[in-house]
Amino acid sequence: MSFEELPHTADIRIRARAASIGALFSNVFDALMQVMYGKDRSAGTDRRLDLSSPDYESLLADFLSEVLFISEVDGLVFSAADISLEGMHLSAILHGEPFDPKKHAGGTEVKGISYTGLAVRKEANGYMVDIVFDV
Amino acid sequence: MIDGVIRTGENEWEVPVGFVKGMRVPGRFFLSERLGGLLEESAIHQLANVATMPGIIKNSLAMPDIHLGYGFPIGGVAAFSLEEGVISPGGVGFDINCGVRLFTTPLGEKEVSGRKDLVESLFTKIPTGVGGKSRTRVSSGDLNGMMLRGARWAVESGFGLERDLVRCEEGGAMKDADTGAVSSHAKQRGYSQGGTLGSGNHFLEIQVVREIYDPATAEAFGIRAGQVCCMIHCGSRGLGHQTCTDHLKILETATKKYQIAVPDRQLACAPVMSVEGRAYFGAMAASANYAWANRQLITHAAREVFMRAFSLTHEDMPLVYDVAHNVAKMEEHIVDGKRTRLCVHRKGATRAFGPGSPDIPRELSGIGQPVIIPGSMGTSSFILCGTREAMEKSFGSTCHGAGRLMSRSAAKKKLSGSDVAAGLLRRGIIVRAHSDNAISDEAPEVYKPSGEVVQVVHDVGISRLVARLSPLGVIKG
Repeated sequence: MSFEELPHTADIRIRARAASIGALFSNVFDALMQVMYGKDRSAGTDRRLDLSSPDYESLLADFLSEVLFISEVDGLVFSAADISLEGMHLSAILHGEPFDPKKHAGGTEVKGISYTGLAVRKEANGYMVDIVFDV
Repeated sequence: MIDGVIRTGENEWEVPVGFVKGMRVPGRFFLSERLGGLLEESAIHQLANVATMPGIIKNSLAMPDIHLGYGFPIGGVAAFSLEEGVISPGGVGFDINCGVRLFTTPLGEKEVSGRKDLVESLFTKIPTGVGGKSRTRVSSGDLNGMMLRGARWAVESGFGLERDLVRCEEGGAMKDADTGAVSSHAKQRGYSQGGTLGSGNHFLEIQVVREIYDPATAEAFGIRAGQVCCMIHCGSRGLGHQTCTDHLKILETATKKYQIAVPDRQLACAPVMSVEGRAYFGAMAASANYAWANRQLITHAAREVFMRAFSLTHEDMPLVYDVAHNVAKMEEHIVDGKRTRLCVHRKGATRAFGPGSPDIPRELSGIGQPVIIPGSMGTSSFILCGTREAMEKSFGSTCHGAGRLMSRSAAKKKLSGSDVAAGLLRRGIIVRAHSDNAISDEAPEVYKPSGEVVQVVHDVGISRLVARLSPLGVIKG
């Protein structure tokens, strides 16, 4: 499993693991979309984004915040992200489809990506992150 | 009780300096012994973290609905000196001016009870849930109006009554809004969400006044026993969420620039009067105003539904009051015997100004401000009244709700939304939502008992009980 939900009284706390930082970000992105729109998500429409941040935690929070923005304003639900990282610069192509209330209305809106307890850690087999989504 | 926490009175507790490194003042919270058994140690750490912030006055405070948040705990209140203190989005939250309002109707329970069609009409007319889009066309002029004039913009645009504004905290608009400090990203999110409820704990509820504790105050507020009311809980939607996200980033840089040490990145902050601090305050005020306009639009849509169903007029459905739960304000409080202007943060807490305050409706100046405390979809909500004691003990603040005690993941595992809805229907409560999860996530079982929480604030004296309402119909995101 690429991510798991940990107990949190009010919000959604996610723990993700992956072999690389890019895959780790992709897993958290998947968690975000699943919380908001459920598991039934397809590709077909793409969006590209580029951003830089001072550290991995900020880069992850900025990436997910931008995904929230694009998803809401363009009315898109994403199923996958191709992420490339060069130092603290991230480029991503997001694959998704238009929001369909019949398929995607079962989730919970995420209001923001919290910095509380946000830490990307190196492990023996890759990387781990704990992150809280405010809902 | 948690190790290191000291009991200072009936329902009153202190977190001493030293509980976490760098505390400048003690933490203080209000909680009964019984609710103390549900208290999370992590929430007390967050309360103590707030006490490390520069310029904090008297205490870092928490109300009895305290639980783990991000930055501040939920239920957290802290006031900061304008000269030496800071302002932080971590003390307000992503949903700026998430708040609640209540309007009354002349209807009785018998006329409304079991009316699935009424709940269905409200669900159809008021966009809810993820992806819920506005039915109101918002132009760029409208968006500016919402951010600058809040509920007044809505009333002047035909969505409400002039009298509604008298019964809103701040008259439905903060004067310091700065639309220039609101990013284009945030503004883009604002166009499509005017008049939408959102998801999570947001709701619109049809309720009946079940019990009156203080008849004279209830009469002054416009509430009588047996009366059907409508409660609306929502906030500033994507515009506010984006404003918090944008300014958190700016204030993270500012925290380093002004060499402020914070124990949690979510507590990023800047001196209140710095360029960065004032920009956040201006953008936050604009977002708060958007939230007041939003609740006003939803009120109008709900009144239209009641008007058609029962041949009422909008004037038959006056607003009792509208309060903000997540906001920072410049307010005057007594510090060391002197009236002092402070920056008061309330994160999941309600303003509860007492009699004599210049900031409450003139017609209620001898009584105090109405305070509206929502319960969960199956438990009572309460109307309380602000007190002078709140001005002394809690910077004029009280609780904001029942407070969660079960995580959403545990709720999903333990509860089925359709079972919860069926159980509520047997008790005469009709629930309408987009999904089963939206119901199980917010089931009555996941919240602390609302009656116990309000009893604490009543006993401590930071607000007093006026009336109890119970739900008849609920729409959820």
